[in-house]
Amino acid sequence: MRTNKLTPYLFLLPGCVILGAFIFYPMLQAIWLSFTDYNMVSDPEFVKFDNYEKLFQDELFWKTLKNTFIYLIGVVPALVIIPIFLAVLVNQKLKGIGFFRSAYYIPVVTSLVVAGIAWDWVYKENGLLNYVLDLLGIIAEPIPWLTSTDTAIFAVMVVTVWKGLGYYMIIYLAGLQSIPTSLYEAAQIDGANWWQQHTRITIPMLMPFVLIVTIMSSIAAMKVFEEIYIMTGGGPLHASETLVFYIYKEAFDRLNMGYASAAGVVLFVLTLIFSLMNLKVMGKDKTA
Amino acid sequence: MKKKHLLLAMILIITMIFVSACGSDDAKKDSKDNKDSKGKTEQTTIEFWTMQLKPTFTEYIEGVIADFENENPDIKIDWLDVPAADLDKKILTAVSSNTAPDVVNLNPTFASKLAELDALVNMEEAVSDEDKQKYVKGAWEANRLQDVTFVIPWYLSTEVTLNNTKIYEEAGLDPEKPAKTYEEAKEYSKIIKEKTGKYGYFPSLDLSLVLQHMVVMGAELTNEDGTKAAFNTPEGLKAFEYFTELYQEDLIPKEALSGDQRNTIDMYQAGQVAFFAGSHFISQIKENAPEIYEHTKPSEAITGDTGKKTMSVQNIVVPKQTDNEEAAVKFALFLTNAENQLAFTKLTPILPSAVEALEDPYFTEAGEDAEPTDLVRITAAGQLDEAELLVPPMENYDELKEAMFDAISEAMLGEATPQEALDKAEKAWNEILAK
Repeated sequence: MRTNKLTPYLFLLPGCVILGAFIFYPMLQAIWLSFTDYNMVSDPEFVKFDNYEKLFQDELFWKTLKNTFIYLIGVVPALVIIPIFLAVLVNQKLKGIGFFRSAYYIPVVTSLVVAGIAWDWVYKENGLLNYVLDLLGIIAEPIPWLTSTDTAIFAVMVVTVWKGLGYYMIIYLAGLQSIPTSLYEAAQIDGANWWQQHTRITIPMLMPFVLIVTIMSSIAAMKVFEEIYIMTGGGPLHASETLVFYIYKEAFDRLNMGYASAAGVVLFVLTLIFSLMNLKVMGKDKTA
Repeated sequence: MKKKHLLLAMILIITMIFVSACGSDDAKKDSKDNKDSKGKTEQTTIEFWTMQLKPTFTEYIEGVIADFENENPDIKIDWLDVPAADLDKKILTAVSSNTAPDVVNLNPTFASKLAELDALVNMEEAVSDEDKQKYVKGAWEANRLQDVTFVIPWYLSTEVTLNNTKIYEEAGLDPEKPAKTYEEAKEYSKIIKEKTGKYGYFPSLDLSLVLQHMVVMGAELTNEDGTKAAFNTPEGLKAFEYFTELYQEDLIPKEALSGDQRNTIDMYQAGQVAFFAGSHFISQIKENAPEIYEHTKPSEAITGDTGKKTMSVQNIVVPKQTDNEEAAVKFALFLTNAENQLAFTKLTPILPSAVEALEDPYFTEAGEDAEPTDLVRITAAGQLDEAELLVPPMENYDELKEAMFDAISEAMLGEATPQEALDKAEKAWNEILAK
C-alpha cells in the first residue's frame, strides 16, 4: 500500500473550497470595497482612505460603537455566569430532567422574529411587564421600556440573554459531564461540602468551557442585529443602535456599500482583537 | 483503491457544481442573444416581479398575464412574487449582478433610490402622450426626479382616518363628527383620555410620515431648487411643538416614538386607541378584530391649516438593464390599464391610477349595506382630487428623513426644545442637501 502525500489535502479540499468561496472571498472583497465608493449599480470607484476618514469623524459611528461595548459588557457576563448555574441544575439525576433541559433550550430554537415581537408586547407601555410591576405596586407610571433612551438598550439585552442561556447551558452541560465523578467521590471522602466541591472541582474543570463561552458570546454580542432591528429599530435617538445595525442601514438603506464595508472592517478588527485578548487572558489563567 | 475512488468522485462532484453554476449563466446569456439576433421568430420572455401579492391575488395576476399572453402570443410573462421585506435587497442584487427583471412592482422610496442611480427606464420617453393621459395627473407626476419620470403608477391610496365609534361614545363625543384637524385631534384626545383613560389619537411617525405631517401643517421642506432646508419657520415649529405637547402631556402612546406602524394597528385592534390613519389596515382589522371592525367608521384624513391630504402611489418600473424594453413597457401599460386596475381594486381597498377606472360607481356610491371597507374606499376616492404626493422624491432621502425623525424625537423626549431641535434638523438637512 502506497500512501499518497496529497490525500489529506484532497480531503480538506471541499471544506477549503466552500469556506474560500463563501467566507474568505467575500471578506477580501469587503476589504477592497472599503477603499471604494460603491452603490451596487455603478462600478466601484477607488477612493483610498476616504471612507475611513469619514467614518472616524462620524459621531453616530462612535455612538454605535459605544452602544456595542455597552452591549458587550452587559450581555457577556450574564451569558457566561448564569448558564453555569443552569447547567449544574439540569445536571442532577432527577425524574423528568429531560423536560427541563429542553425547556431551557426552547428560546434558542425559537425564531428571533417571533420572540422579538412577543417581547415587544411584554415591554409595551400597556404590556405585560408594566402590568405586573403596577400590580405589585413597584411603579406608579408605566415605563416606556423600548422608547426611552435610558432603558431601550437594556431591554433588548434581556432578550439576547434570554435567548442565549440555553445554548451556553448545553455547552457547560457537556463540560460538566466530562468531569470524572471520581473527583467528587474523592472530595467527599476528604470531607468537602457541596460548595467546596463546586468551587474547587467544577469551576476549575470548566475553565476551558468558560473560555469558549466567553469568546462565543462576545462575538455574538458584537454582532447583535435582529433583536434591535425588530424591537427598537435602533431608537429612540440611536440609543439602542449598535454597530452592525449601523452597517446594515448604511449598506442597504442608503446603498453606501463602500462606507458600510469600511465600518465592517473596523468591526472585524475589533472582534479579532477582542477574541485574541480573551484567549490570552483566559488561556494564562488556565495554565497558572 | 476505494479511497482513490472516493477522492475522484469528490473532485468530480465539486468540479461539476462549479461548472454547472457557470454553465447555467452562459446558457442564459446565449438564449438572450438568440432572441436578439432572430427577433420576432423567437418568443420574448418578460420577467415580472411583484411585492407580496401571493396568495391573495394569485388568481387575479395570473388572469392578467393570461389575457396579455393571448393578445401578444410572442411575449411570455414569467411571474415571480417576492416577500415585501426582501424585495429591496433582491432587486438591488439583481441590478448589481446585471440580471435585473424586466418589470417590477416597487415602492416609491426604493424606486427613487434606483432612479438616483440611473437604473430605471424614463417613462416620459417610453410611453406615448396618449397613454400618459390615461393616468391620474398627480400620480403620473408624483415620481419624478430631475425631469425623469421613472415609474408607471399602478395603484393609489389616500389616507383615511379610522374611528372607533364605541370609544367616541364612551367619551361622550359624537362619532358623526370625527376629528378633522390636528387641533381637533388634540382636543378629542384630551377628552377621551379624561373620560376613558384610553388614547384618542395615535399619529404614526414612521420615519417619512414626520415630513408629511410637517407639509400638511404648512411647512415647506426645501427651497425650490432643493438645495436648502426651508422648514425652520413658524409653521415648522408648530409641527414640532404639536407632537412634543401631545407626547409630553401623555395624549399619545409612548410607542409613537418607535416609528413602527405595527404598534399603531395593534393598539387600535385592541380597542385602546380611538382614531388613527390606517385605511390600508382595514382588511386586517376585519379579520383580526371583527368587533372593532364593526364599530369602525372611516372619515377623511386629518389635516392642518393647508387642508392638504396625502396620496401614496405604488409603482411599476422597468429597469434599464432589460433586453426587451418595448415588451416590458407594453406589459406594464397593460397591467395598469383601466380595465385591469378596476378588477384589481375590487379585490382590495386601493384606488386605481387610471382615470377611466375611477369613474366607476364602485368608487362613488355607497350602497345601503355598505361595510366599513366600502366606506374606506369611497372616502379615499372622494378626497383623491385634493390629495397629492406631499413629499417628492429627493436625493439622499433616507438620511433626510432620519435627520428629521431624530430631531423631532429629541424634542418629544425633552432633550431639546422644539426650536433647538428644529435648528438642528435644519443644519443637518443643509449638510445633506449640499452633497
